[in-house]
Amino acid sequence: MSLPKISLPSVRLLSSIHHHQQQLLLPSTSPLTGPKRAVSQGEYRRPGQPKVDKFPWQPINFGFSKGFDGVKKHLALLKKEFSDRWVGPQGKPILEHMLEQNQVLWEFRGPESLEQWTVSSDQEIGGQSEVHLKLGKNQNTCLLYGTLSSTPPRDGETRYSGYCTMRSKQPLASFDRKKHYDWSSFNTLHLRVRGDGRPWMINIATETYFSHQKDDIYNYFLYTRGGPYWQDVKIPFSKFFITHRGRIQDDQHPLWLDKVNTIGFTLGDKADGPFQLEIDFVGVCKDYAHTEEFAYEVYKRNPEI
Amino acid sequence: MKCARCLLQLQCLRLVGQSARSAAQHGALLRSTSSSQPDMLHNTQVLRRFHGSPACAKRRPVPAEFINEDDKKRDKSLVTHDDLFEQVAKEVKTKATFNKVVDVFIKRDIRRRGHVEFIYAALKKMPEFGVERDLVVYNKLLDVFPKEVFVPRNFIQRMFNHYPRQQECGVQLLEQMENYGIMPNMETKVLLVQIFGEKGHPMRKYQRIMYWFPKFKHINPFPVPQQLPEDPVDLARFSLTRIANDLDAKVTVYQTHIHPDLCSFSLFSFLPVLTPGIQSPSQMQLLAQHSPSRPVFVEGPFPLWLRKTCVYYYVLRADPTPPDEKVEEPFDPERCLAFPLQLDLDLDRDFGDEESFDVEDLDEGPVFAMCMTSQGDQAVLNQWISGLQQNNPILGQVPTLFRLDAGPRELQGPADTESAHQHRTDPGPQREERQPEEDEEPRRSQGAKW
Repeated sequence: MSLPKISLPSVRLLSSIHHHQQQLLLPSTSPLTGPKRAVSQGEYRRPGQPKVDKFPWQPINFGFSKGFDGVKKHLALLKKEFSDRWVGPQGKPILEHMLEQNQVLWEFRGPESLEQWTVSSDQEIGGQSEVHLKLGKNQNTCLLYGTLSSTPPRDGETRYSGYCTMRSKQPLASFDRKKHYDWSSFNTLHLRVRGDGRPWMINIATETYFSHQKDDIYNYFLYTRGGPYWQDVKIPFSKFFITHRGRIQDDQHPLWLDKVNTIGFTLGDKADGPFQLEIDFVGVCKDYAHTEEFAYEVYKRNPEI
Repeated sequence: MKCARCLLQLQCLRLVGQSARSAAQHGALLRSTSSSQPDMLHNTQVLRRFHGSPACAKRRPVPAEFINEDDKKRDKSLVTHDDLFEQVAKEVKTKATFNKVVDVFIKRDIRRRGHVEFIYAALKKMPEFGVERDLVVYNKLLDVFPKEVFVPRNFIQRMFNHYPRQQECGVQLLEQMENYGIMPNMETKVLLVQIFGEKGHPMRKYQRIMYWFPKFKHINPFPVPQQLPEDPVDLARFSLTRIANDLDAKVTVYQTHIHPDLCSFSLFSFLPVLTPGIQSPSQMQLLAQHSPSRPVFVEGPFPLWLRKTCVYYYVLRADPTPPDEKVEEPFDPERCLAFPLQLDLDLDRDFGDEESFDVEDLDEGPVFAMCMTSQGDQAVLNQWISGLQQNNPILGQVPTLFRLDAGPRELQGPADTESAHQHRTDPGPQREERQPEEDEEPRRSQGAKW
C-alpha cells in the first residue's frame, strides 16, 4: 500500500517527493464515491484529519434569512466603498494618508473586536491544548489564555504537538471579496502586550500569487517579560523571516507590505502548563531611524549540487 | 579468544544475577573485557571499508550478557530497536550507561547492521537517560554510522538521494539537536562529511543550523539562563528583578514563622518561610502619595514562566486615582540639570513627528510592590505587608484587601470593586485586621513584631 509509516518517521525535508508518492499510491476508489479535492485546493491532508467526502456545494447554507441580512450588509459595504473613494485612499484624506506615522490596527475595546480574531490549537490535529480568547477586565484588552500540552496525538504520523494560536481574520470588502492591508508607508510593528514570560511568535501572512506559496508566513519572535507592567514591543518588518509550513526557508526575502492578509500569534514553546497573553493594541508605525531593508542574507546560500 | 569469552560469560552471569549494580562498575568491566579483544576491531573503525570481507569476521565477540536474550527474542517487527536500552533500563540511567550501550552496539557488528533503528531508538531514549542536551553524546551517536559508505561517488548517486533512509536518520538526529537548541561543533561537521559527504541532506541541515542559530541566539531582550538557580530564594530574586522593570529596585527577603498549631505538618513548623519581595524607590514614592482613604489590594498569584518552570508572584497595587482627584505635579526643573525635562517647541514649518498612537491610555493604577512565594497563604502575605510597612509607614493606615484567586489572572481594574468576595476591613490604629478573601480558617493576626 502506501509507504510504511512505522519505521519511516514523517519526512519533512524530503516532503515534496514523498507527498507525491503517497498520493499516487493511495488505493483507488470507484468514480461514483465522494469527490476528490481539486488540484487548486491542494493535495496536502493535515495529519490526523479525516478525509472530507462532501461535494463542494454541500457545506454552503442556502437559507433565506441569511440571504436577506447578507444583501443588506453587503450593499452597505459597497456604498461605503464608493463614498470612501471620494474622501481619499482607504477612506482617509490624502494628506492624512501621506503623513501618518502611526496607525492602530486592532484595539480591543468591545466584544465586537473579538470577532475579528480566530483562535485555534492543536486540538485540530488531535492534541490536548486548549485556548480561549476573551475580553479582559474593563473591556479594554483581550486576554488569550489556555493550557498547552505537548503530548502528540497518537495517530502514528504526528511527532510534535503543543501549540496555540490566535490569528486575525482576513478583512473582507462587500460581497466577501478579500481586502488587504496596505502598510507600505510603515516599517515597524508596535504591540502593547503583557505576557507571562513565554516566548511567542508573530506570524504575518501576505497575499501570494502561486498556490505553492499559500502557506508562506513571515515570522518573528515576541519575547514577553512577564510581570504586572505592560510591555511595548517594536519589531521592524525587516526582521521578519519567511517560513513555509513552519520550516524556515533558505531563500529569504523581505516582507512586502502592500498586501498583508492576516497577523497571528503562536505559542509553541514545549512547556506544558497554563499560559496567558494580554494584548492592549496592535499598531504599525514609521520609524525614521530604522533604515535596514532586510536582516538576513538574500543571496543564494545553499547552491544546488 | 575462547577463554576470554568464557570469562565474559561468567562475569556477566554474575552481573545479571545481582540486582543493583553501579554504572561505574559496568564501565570498568566492559573496559577490562574489551581490552582483551583483538586490537584490529577498534583502531580502524573510522576508516574501514566494508566492501571487502574483514579478516576477523568469524571471531566477532559478542558480550555474553546479550547473547541469550538476543537468541530468544529474534522478533522481526519494524519497531524501534529498544531491547538494548530496555536491558540497561533496570540499572540507573546515566550518561555512562548510555555510552556503554552505544559502545556495545558499535563493537557488536563491524558492519553495524540495524544502525538506523538503533539510532532512532537511542534518540527516543535520550531524555530518559538525561543526555538530550549533551553534544558529546550526539557526536558519539553520529559515530555509529559507518563511514564513507553513504558518500555518493558520482553524479547519478548525488542526483538520486543516495541511501535515503540513512540520510533521513541523520537529518532526524540533527533535528533533535535543533529542537533542544544545541549548537553542533566542528566534530559534528567532520563526522557528517565522512558519513554523508558534503552535498547530502544532513550536511544541508547542518548548514542551516549553523546559519540560523547564531542569528537567533541573542535576540531575547529578557534572557533566561539555561541553568536556573536551584534555591527558591535565588530564583525568586532573579525573577523579581526581571519583572520589576526598574534597575533601582531592591529585593528584601521577609521571614515568616508559621505558628505550630496552625500548621498541619509539625515537621516544618519551625522552619522559617522566606518570602522575597521587591520595591523600587519610585514605587515607594507612589505609595507615599497614595491617599489613606482608598484601599490597596494584594492580588495574586500571577504566573511567570522561566523556560519550563512556572513561579507565582503577588502584587500590591491600588486602583487608579479618579480624574477629579488627580493632582498634576508641575515639572521641577531642578530635578535634572543635564537636560530640560520639558520642551515646548513651536515648529511652524514642519508637520512634526507624531510619536504616539491614537489609543486611549490604559490606566490600571500604580503597582507598589511585588513578592514571590510558593505558599500564598495569609500568614506569608501578612508578613510581607508588615515588612513593607517598615519602609512605607502609610501601610499602617491604609486598608489592605486580599484578592487571591487561581486561574487566568490579570490585574483587576477599578470597575470590579463590587465583587462578591470582598470583605471590607476596619483600619485599626496600629494593627489592622486583614480578612482573607477565600474561606480559610481564621488565622491570628501577625502583628507580632520580631
